[in-house]
Amino acid sequence: MRSIDDFTRPLENISPMDDPLGLIVRDWAEKYVIPHRRKFDEDYVDHKFIEPAFDKLMGEMGMQRVLFPENMGGWGFGRSDHVGTSMYRIMEEVARADSGMAVAYGVVYWPLLMIAVEPHVNYELCKEFAPIFCDTEEARFAANAMTEPQGGSDIENMEILGGSTIQTTAVLDGDEWVINGHKLWPTNSGGVCNLFGVVCTTNPGSRDPDDFAFIFVPADTPGCTQGPPYQKAGMAADKNGDIWFENVRVPKSYRAHGPGLDAMYFKEMVSLGNMASTAFVGGVLLNVWERLYEFVSEETYKGQPLKEHDAVAGLLADIARDAEVVRIVGYQNARMMDRPDIYGARWSDEQVAKARLYKYWSADVGMETLGKAMNLMSVYGADRDWDIEKHWRDLKIVQLWLGGKQLGQAEVARWFWDLETV
Amino acid sequence: MSEHDLFPFAHEWLSDMDTSLAANLEKWAASELMEKRLELKEDYAGLLEPAMRKLCLDIGLQRLLWPEAYGGDGHNTPAAALTITAALEQVARGDTSIALLLSGMWALQSCMAMEGKENPEACEAFADLFASKDTLAVTSLVLPLFRDEPQAHAKLSRGAWSVEAKKVRPIACGADAAVFGVYCSLDGEDEAGLIALPGDAKGVKKGKALLKTGLAASRNADVTFDKTKAPEGMCVARGREACRAALAWLYLGVSASNVGALFASYEILREWGDNRVIKGKDQVFKNNPLTSAVMGEVAKEIALDRMLTYNLARVLAAPDVYGEAGGERNFVTACMVAQQVAQSAEKAIGNAMEMMASAGYATEWNLERYWRDTKTMQLCLGPYELAKMDYARYFYQSQAR
Repeated sequence: MRSIDDFTRPLENISPMDDPLGLIVRDWAEKYVIPHRRKFDEDYVDHKFIEPAFDKLMGEMGMQRVLFPENMGGWGFGRSDHVGTSMYRIMEEVARADSGMAVAYGVVYWPLLMIAVEPHVNYELCKEFAPIFCDTEEARFAANAMTEPQGGSDIENMEILGGSTIQTTAVLDGDEWVINGHKLWPTNSGGVCNLFGVVCTTNPGSRDPDDFAFIFVPADTPGCTQGPPYQKAGMAADKNGDIWFENVRVPKSYRAHGPGLDAMYFKEMVSLGNMASTAFVGGVLLNVWERLYEFVSEETYKGQPLKEHDAVAGLLADIARDAEVVRIVGYQNARMMDRPDIYGARWSDEQVAKARLYKYWSADVGMETLGKAMNLMSVYGADRDWDIEKHWRDLKIVQLWLGGKQLGQAEVARWFWDLETV
Repeated sequence: MSEHDLFPFAHEWLSDMDTSLAANLEKWAASELMEKRLELKEDYAGLLEPAMRKLCLDIGLQRLLWPEAYGGDGHNTPAAALTITAALEQVARGDTSIALLLSGMWALQSCMAMEGKENPEACEAFADLFASKDTLAVTSLVLPLFRDEPQAHAKLSRGAWSVEAKKVRPIACGADAAVFGVYCSLDGEDEAGLIALPGDAKGVKKGKALLKTGLAASRNADVTFDKTKAPEGMCVARGREACRAALAWLYLGVSASNVGALFASYEILREWGDNRVIKGKDQVFKNNPLTSAVMGEVAKEIALDRMLTYNLARVLAAPDVYGEAGGERNFVTACMVAQQVAQSAEKAIGNAMEMMASAGYATEWNLERYWRDTKTMQLCLGPYELAKMDYARYFYQSQAR
């Protein structure tokens, strides 16, 4: 009998950590997530089933420490040459169990990428924030506060808008930044966040990259308020809500890097966020294969297992193809993140465009595959007990985030076709 | 003029009564569902059940196709195919799951009550239920999961059927059914039958309501029929053609319900397109060529789905022109239209969600509910891969099973 390990990874390009990490996370998923995930939807506010699993993975097992330097209690991934492939494997394994948990866990690293990854490690800020994540056995969450009410994902459209639509302001007052603004939707908001990375402007309306500021704000800073979590189609493990910053004051040193560099490295987050999204799709498709394997082997049609029907077999081949190809492409993208010396800087327009391409393609493939898998299961396709409908609801959210497909298309077309106005 | 007149169809086929009913149901959807759902979400007791009671009992849709002689409104002719299409569009616009519930009810009634083909024994037995002004006639159909393989078996002995099935899955409403329509293989017969059984008949065991993707008004559950007895006349469709006629009516209902869900999705997307500003202050969402192209695609799907659905309704409404509903050609047409419209609805609503990014999957905007509901409803049609065997059989005389 086949297993998910029969789906191909480019073995010569993965890190030595790939298998140990993958198996540790898989073991955690089997024990702490998969037996409980059918209760997650109703748990979207309290997280009484979700939180213990996060505590185990991130706190006790220490997976929230991986980016930080070793001398600060971290695992040093941020300074390794396998940050992409290692993260890809971890995200894939978590998403196999629950892509909502995968994004919540993954986004802990997202703002930290700005300060904990070579070649731009900000040791001062790493030292400042490492204790939040490294000196505890409980899960701690970080969030990127980007999206705003008036412009949605416009903020991520840096090439065209250059940050000109950002309404959240940062004003330097002596040795402190004073931040005011309203953000929506960040993963790991809704009351759980410990540390925000806040996208601000120092000069509203400006397109000058020097005026784009990425500033860290501990969530318990006076003036920082988180609203309750929104109710969504899926992804209960990922809390999203409103955040208000009212005269929030943080030290001047909490700006990630400074004029120009914040805007540049922000694009690296877009690349890696898209790569992780592809990993979520890949993990989901592996679990779809597992669950569907069971269904089509058990259910019968015309006296034979459903999978033995020729027309059904054709569809099953397509589903396996999609899982296989997404995994290969996803690992390739992760390799590109690992080796900027070969493929170019992670914040380059090329890397951003290609990561977006892989993300929106894989999400489209994933949604189509899941829709077909549900259809093949007849009325059972809608059952919570078969898990596939959950993945279908969750993956739709992956397809829509990071600016959705159209922003991805625009970015891809701009790079490949030398567009100037789109 | 309703905004839904934007989407063309052969409206000359509709009677004044059909048009008037649709207009009233548009108001019902607004007042009983759409104005309350921001607060009540998909609450069964607080929102959906009261809306169903108003619709089925006060407005009286559960009596619509029921013969006058048995307490109904007497629209029990094939022409009702157009009436129910116009009605279901509006019902589904308010709540798709209620529309599916009606679709199942009317499919079963079409077997018992069609003018000239009434089944007096069944009409007598179910008159109190379907003509009731205070009991919801929640109908649950137990159909094949995979193409034409029945989940249940029935044996006729001394003028009564004994129905056997263990933990079978209805397409909807298994937990609340007042009446079941069970598609059974019939002992000693080559062809299947549809047997109507009261929801509280001896031997009926309803399981716990299942957690599922959508269709909140349909509380579904696995059901066991343990030697459940029914008089011989309760086999309301006997043989392939009769069963296919019931399915053709169901497929019409599913198609019309999908169109209604698409109308609602259109309204939500239109509001987004009119008001969302992108690229700073430069552009209203609908005026961006890239996004407007996708919006155009969504509108195309809705328009074609509506046209197809009314054409199917016309086929079923005019047996003198097109033949009986259960004939192979009409059954295959009904199946193709239902599958086409269901897939199209999945695509169009999925695209609409993509346009709206986070608002697409936030419950607050309601679009995601139609997306979940239409996908769940699509599964009632069974796997598309197997449905295609029926198309190949009709068009190519394929023997593939």
